Amino acid sequence: MRLKELTVLDIDRAAMLQERLHQPGTRLGLITSIDGAQLITLILHTVSGEAELWHTPLQSNRYQSLTPHIAQAHWQERSVWDMFGLFPVGHPRLKHNLLHQAFRESFFPLVPGALEDSAFPHRSHTPMKVSGSGIYEVPVGPIHAGIIEPGHFRFSCLGEVVYNLEIRLGYLHRGVEKRIVETPLSKQRFIAEAVASDSAVAYALAHATAIEDLCDIEVPDRALYLRSLALEVERVAMHISDLGGLAGDIGYLGVAATLSRLRGVALQMGELICGSRLMRGFVCPGGVLLDPDNHLLQLQTLTAQLQNKILSPLNALLSNQVAIDRLDKIGRVSRRLAADFGLTGPTARASDLVYDVRQHFPHGIYPQVSLAVNSESGGDVLSRTKVRIAEVKSSLNIIQSFIDSMPAGSVFRNLPRDLPANSFGIGVVESHRGELIHMACTDEFGKLKRYAIKDASVNNWTALAIAVRSNLLADFPLCNKSFALSYGGHDL
Amino acid sequence: MSSIATWSSYLLTVIIFPPLCLGVVRKTKARLQNRVGPAVWQPFFDLHRLTKKRETLSDTMCGVFRLSTVVGLSTTFALAWFIPWVPIKPWSPHADIFTVIYLFALERFFTLLGAMDSGSAFGAFGASRDVTLNLLVEPALCLALVSLSIIANSTDLGAIFSFSHFSTVSLVWFCAGTSIFLTSLAELGRMPVDDPTTHLELTMIHEAMTLEASARNLFLLEFTRMLKLTLFLALSAQCYLRIWAGFATLAPFQQELLVLIGVLLMAIFVGILESLVVKLQWRKVPEFVAYIVTVSLISVFVAMAGNTSL
Repeated sequence: MRLKELTVLDIDRAAMLQERLHQPGTRLGLITSIDGAQLITLILHTVSGEAELWHTPLQSNRYQSLTPHIAQAHWQERSVWDMFGLFPVGHPRLKHNLLHQAFRESFFPLVPGALEDSAFPHRSHTPMKVSGSGIYEVPVGPIHAGIIEPGHFRFSCLGEVVYNLEIRLGYLHRGVEKRIVETPLSKQRFIAEAVASDSAVAYALAHATAIEDLCDIEVPDRALYLRSLALEVERVAMHISDLGGLAGDIGYLGVAATLSRLRGVALQMGELICGSRLMRGFVCPGGVLLDPDNHLLQLQTLTAQLQNKILSPLNALLSNQVAIDRLDKIGRVSRRLAADFGLTGPTARASDLVYDVRQHFPHGIYPQVSLAVNSESGGDVLSRTKVRIAEVKSSLNIIQSFIDSMPAGSVFRNLPRDLPANSFGIGVVESHRGELIHMACTDEFGKLKRYAIKDASVNNWTALAIAVRSNLLADFPLCNKSFALSYGGHDL
Repeated sequence: MSSIATWSSYLLTVIIFPPLCLGVVRKTKARLQNRVGPAVWQPFFDLHRLTKKRETLSDTMCGVFRLSTVVGLSTTFALAWFIPWVPIKPWSPHADIFTVIYLFALERFFTLLGAMDSGSAFGAFGASRDVTLNLLVEPALCLALVSLSIIANSTDLGAIFSFSHFSTVSLVWFCAGTSIFLTSLAELGRMPVDDPTTHLELTMIHEAMTLEASARNLFLLEFTRMLKLTLFLALSAQCYLRIWAGFATLAPFQQELLVLIGVLLMAIFVGILESLVVKLQWRKVPEFVAYIVTVSLISVFVAMAGNTSL
């Protein structure tokens, strides 16, 4: 990806970013730092497929917060505070995102030399209080009833209606970003794809794309096709799984059971491609690890079968009037809020924001292969369901066309032994949740010094908090499921 | 029939039938989802397992919680004693319909107390939802029973469901049976009002109240619920059977057999229904209840028109 590097002073940052974001097709990608002495702001241009990287050198550990002007910065600025101790002045609601009571207040894990034992720690946490007569709080989690990841939700309700939802994450913080930097290049991909195993391909692909971008090498065409093939298979499997979960939440058990069975078929497709149902260890920097040539015909048959079988449960879901009523107008996110908070993926497309990374940024064979973006305008659970259904269908079609037009050739190319010094590599991938950004940065010896990851969920978690306001408490699980957010991808 | 045979037949039905009914519902649902599903007698094993577990009580609980589960089951057994839900019963006391309705209310009251005693937010809002729901559903049940008492010229359930007489008004029996059946779905937290299989605490109505129960307490709660389901299904099955005028002329053991088969068929029907419908949004539940009340009202009007003595 073509990267334009600029130095932007802290004092100009907010105004310049505001001006940039007014231009059509400009998105705020990533806000982070390398070692706590500067801020890095990544801006994506969807029209030209380029990116801008702003360096903001900092003299102290305080900087002007962007949040008052650019709402979507609020979450990332909290994470930067947690990881680097950089304090955003003027942030309307600063709280710890990732680190909890178990860490000292002065513990900043990504500042060099910071890791040490923290005895007798205590971090305060003050959830937002809603006051008024009859308001009560319902705490849910971090341990949930199903086999899902941990997260704490605190609802302030009046009767059955939710007035505020306070989301607390970070229970899965594993120090992924630091661990990747400490790992030899050849093994990094294993950590990268284990961040959120339900999007193993997307993570491995973003990592591979970032490293290849850093080395500035081209990957053989066949590898690009195979990568996109794996990415689409993963999207199909996860969307089917999410749709099945949604059907289960409204008690439509027949559809839920059928979809959970068909998810197995999609995972079987993954197994055909690389021998692993979740396609772990397939995509690697330089290409893919093996060529599933012998299985492509079988894959084509299986895809055709799935295309055939998936129609009846999906139609059953969309033709049942009670099911439609159940999903309609619940958990709405307006187009404006979706744009302000930088939502991505099916969530954004359900709110009429036509943004799909596959159209704009190079990863796999995209954006060379043209693709219709499925969007809806309702912004509610029904719209998100419809977008997912449309994407399952279109992804299955794309899979067929990939197999048909797969070029011959090798599937792997060796990387140079050493990474270039002082450079940046960016990988932007459309995972099944949306825009996934990986950024790799090397020091003057060509050693990786910072690896940053931004999952689609980082922005989309805010959408959940917006969506449940003035909805019924009993509808929260449905809203939550419709966003299909990642805890592991967020907590890193 | 000898009294020993009567007693043993009654005790068998009241102990064996409730878990069996639930097993049939679950099996039907599993088959409709293309799953093999657990055997129909799985609920017996579940109950047995619960009796052997050690119970965990929340710190905030006082004695009310354990009392509530005991009172709940005893009240329901008393109801099974009063209500003529099977033809062969060792003793049929005078069971005024209002006594019965209040006994149901008493059982519910103690379940609610137990839920709130546990001190969890889920128990409290489960209780709140349950009360709201029952407030809506109660008129439907009352009206259905009243319509039957109009054609029987008595408020004694024993006389209403007397198994020996009757020139019958089929439409009333049909409407009342339907109304009692639909009421039981709402009352017992089954679809489309509540999803008994969900694990999502926030969406629960009845389950939310039982979250804090474990071991023997849960055993008592579960059995209470199964028994209530069986009572309701048996009442509505009888209503449907009475559409056929010849039912009253059968011998008691034939009637008993028919009623029990009817209950199992109703359980299968519950299973089919739960696989086909989608859980209603909480705001739409009053609409569903309005349909039940309408059916009850039709039943009352037809009964009043059909009863020549009024």
